[in-house]
Amino acid sequence: MATIKAIVPVVLVLVFGGTAPPDSDAENRGGEPQNSYYAAVFLNRGHVSGGGISNLGLFRRGLGDTAWSNIYRRNLFTFGLGLWKSGSTTRQYIAAGNGLHRSDDGRKTWRVLTDWRTEEVLSVALDPVDSAVIYIGTPFGVFRSTDDGARWQKKMSGMNSWFVRKVIVDWSNRSALFAGAEDDLYRTTDKGEHWTPLHVGVPGMEAVVQHPADPKHLLVGTSDDGVRVSVDGGKSWKEGKGLPNTAFYAVCVSSDKQTIYAGGYQTGLWKSRDRGFSWSLLWQDPEIEAVYAIFVHPDDPRHMMVGTSGQGIYESRDGGKIWSNIGLKGCHVKQIELYP
Amino acid sequence: MGALGALRTSKVIRFSLCVLALTCLSARSLPAQDGSSPAAQFEQRRQRLLDVVSQERDRGFFTVTAKFITGRDTEWAMAMLDSLTTDESIGGMFYSYTAIGTYLRLKDQLPDSIKRKIRRAFRERTMYRGDTENHWVMYYTGLYLAAQTWPNEDRSQWFNGKSSTENFKEAEAWLNRWMNITSTIGQGEFDSPTYFIVFMTPMLTLDEYAKDPVMKRKTQMMVDLLFADYAVDHLGGNYSGGHARDYPEDIINPLSAPAALWAWLYFGEPKSELWGETRYHPRYRGGWETAFGAASSYRLPEIIYRIATDRSKPYIHTETKRVRNIIRFGLEKNPPVYKYMYMTRSYALGSLHGGILQPIQQHTWDVTYISEKSNNTIFTLHPFYSGKELAMFFPEEQKFLSDEVNRYHLVYTDPNKWNSSSPYEQTFQHKNTIIVLYNIDKDAKQSHVDGFFPKTLDERIEHNSGWVFCRAGSVYVAFFPLKPYEWIEEKVNWRWRSSVVKNGVVTEVGSSDEDGSFEEFQRRIAKSKPAFNDFDKTLTVHYQTRGGDKMKFTFGGDRTLNGKTVDFRTYKFFNGPFIQSERGSGIVKMTYENQVRELDFKKVTIKEWRQSKQ
Repeated sequence: MATIKAIVPVVLVLVFGGTAPPDSDAENRGGEPQNSYYAAVFLNRGHVSGGGISNLGLFRRGLGDTAWSNIYRRNLFTFGLGLWKSGSTTRQYIAAGNGLHRSDDGRKTWRVLTDWRTEEVLSVALDPVDSAVIYIGTPFGVFRSTDDGARWQKKMSGMNSWFVRKVIVDWSNRSALFAGAEDDLYRTTDKGEHWTPLHVGVPGMEAVVQHPADPKHLLVGTSDDGVRVSVDGGKSWKEGKGLPNTAFYAVCVSSDKQTIYAGGYQTGLWKSRDRGFSWSLLWQDPEIEAVYAIFVHPDDPRHMMVGTSGQGIYESRDGGKIWSNIGLKGCHVKQIELYP
Repeated sequence: MGALGALRTSKVIRFSLCVLALTCLSARSLPAQDGSSPAAQFEQRRQRLLDVVSQERDRGFFTVTAKFITGRDTEWAMAMLDSLTTDESIGGMFYSYTAIGTYLRLKDQLPDSIKRKIRRAFRERTMYRGDTENHWVMYYTGLYLAAQTWPNEDRSQWFNGKSSTENFKEAEAWLNRWMNITSTIGQGEFDSPTYFIVFMTPMLTLDEYAKDPVMKRKTQMMVDLLFADYAVDHLGGNYSGGHARDYPEDIINPLSAPAALWAWLYFGEPKSELWGETRYHPRYRGGWETAFGAASSYRLPEIIYRIATDRSKPYIHTETKRVRNIIRFGLEKNPPVYKYMYMTRSYALGSLHGGILQPIQQHTWDVTYISEKSNNTIFTLHPFYSGKELAMFFPEEQKFLSDEVNRYHLVYTDPNKWNSSSPYEQTFQHKNTIIVLYNIDKDAKQSHVDGFFPKTLDERIEHNSGWVFCRAGSVYVAFFPLKPYEWIEEKVNWRWRSSVVKNGVVTEVGSSDEDGSFEEFQRRIAKSKPAFNDFDKTLTVHYQTRGGDKMKFTFGGDRTLNGKTVDFRTYKFFNGPFIQSERGSGIVKMTYENQVRELDFKKVTIKEWRQSKQ
């Protein structure tokens, strides 16, 4: 497939999957597809890898719907989602246990781009301009493809550990990326050829976020030590005050660009209004073991969703005061996105 | 000719050259059959098994296969096949290789409608690859055979959006890689009485239906290797010694393990038909996989049969295996595992060197003995668990891994569990003696050591010397706990428990062959006691075996035998009277009396010859 160079690049590390059922809303309208919510489900309680079909994979909920429906692979351990979009061209990705899946035709068909060499794919990051350049984070390091996913090269020079949970592209410099690894957060400025540790000070990078309005403002959720913040591009780091010393799997900058949310293991959902330096508990439900995903509506910062471990998705429409479960009970929800 | 066809042609040429280089190619079957030959007896057991399985109505491809082969109940079998190929709720790697294996075996008997459904399954279902070594063996075996069966089809015809050629190449590359690793540095999920079946069954399927002669030959060699690996640890149907992973029911009752039925079929032991033996509570997890073995044209080379069953002389056998892929909290992806086995005709004492070698289900050591009774084993363990241990091997978030694993491996966090790896457990074995030391961290979730002693023992005596003496028929076990302990009565066993974190046990095993009477065994043992002065500081035990060998073992330190340090780095891939292989060589040499069978995985050749007696 030919490389696509985006004129107006829009890369959202978001969404989905599905071999068979296409996006019915889009098809039915015959024009611009209406947005839907998509959820990446990693695990369903009681499901054993290799067992029967369960309730994993990619789920969709139309704006007018009240339920989530599986649209791709009900036994696919799904870690993350990604989207490359330029004009009317979209490429949708799923980072999953089987590898990196992509659909170029609105989720009608899918293709696994990787093979056994990359093993499981935990996250995907996309060059915002050149659709042929793809990065993935895996248990055995960062891999890069520059030929549209046909071939993959391991890119680990400078890294001291090989487990990489999360890779993101620096939105202010498409040659630069951040990789959240077992021991530290790493940065490259040459598309993965060389990596430099940013010395966060604690190990176990679980979430990596770059503020959408300030490229030097970085936040990481860690596996044992709460959230760490840098406002100088990773030169120095501060501990997010007020947070418990536990795992934080999700960090999200609200669409108001001022509020930051974080959630993790047995700790509920936290909120910061000072760039992540201090935090207060926003909501906690004893039923919820862990928060894996936080979604804030791009047009309405009061409309939020939280993906949990085993309790599905909770929604609030008042900025987090009142929450209700909106489905996928039993599911571990790794990512929630709104997507055309 | 498509790319796939061209690929095969080139391999045919290469294989032809390879064949020319052979001094002797093995036959695929045991020697000439007469009524009492191992080959003839195998044929009888094979037919018997197919007959038994064909009378079952378990859901799955194995019973279907047995029914078609025997011609019994084929109407039901066809309905089952229709259901299996229609039901969208099943899929994954277990389905993948069994579906294509059934298709290939029965294709002349199946209606087109069923064939189309199986083909459609590979187009529309997710044949999920899974996350363990056995998952991948099943997945890539299924993918290889499916891509071979339906070549030259484009991406739209496959569940993963890859063409036949792409799928074939990927599967072929991974299978070759796995075979190369397994034949040079070992399996990750090694010597498992349960998981043996999910390596053997796909390998037998691949051996049967791979068209590429090189792959076919290599697979046959892998089947030989898996059986040989089992054979040296085999005692009367029991898969003895340390295992990478197994379920607690099988660890405490070895003949209940699925591998025991394979031993019955291929090794002829135990003599009794296990499915009728309620005392062993046999489990057929996955359902009668042995039917695929019974249906296969593979025949066990006689030399492996002899290795599995000749226990006329005690032997020491050592091996190296590898740790399953470590993805974090480690410095090496696949560190070596060192195995030791002392085998006699009545018991086997076997061990892994200790530490975390596999997550969740490790079984580090045991003495397993021949018995007419169930629960014929004794061992100890530290019931360790931690999210970090799991996170070494699984990519999920470590905080919730313990709970999640506990949901399906129901005993993972159970303080009374009978399977566990532990970073706080190490072993030192010499012949029929083993020292097991524990140095449990103060922050470990469990701070006790447990031992399994079956109620089926004929005697269990606490001697005033500090030894605990046990007898099971003609097998004797002497067990010396270094620290205070208690006995807890349970349904099928006495649980020996010691709640001291710096701890250890010394075990010597004997038999009437070696020691005469039980009383004589006790007398010989009681003359010597482990020396462990200042153990809490030194973590060191000195012990002189009843055979006169002096063992010294320090937790985290040296193991010395008669003053000489035991260096695991000198361990070979296989080293014993029956199998020899240098680590990394890819050459596995089996020897029995004057028969030799050599598998060369790098040249993909099998040689057999008879050597002159020394």
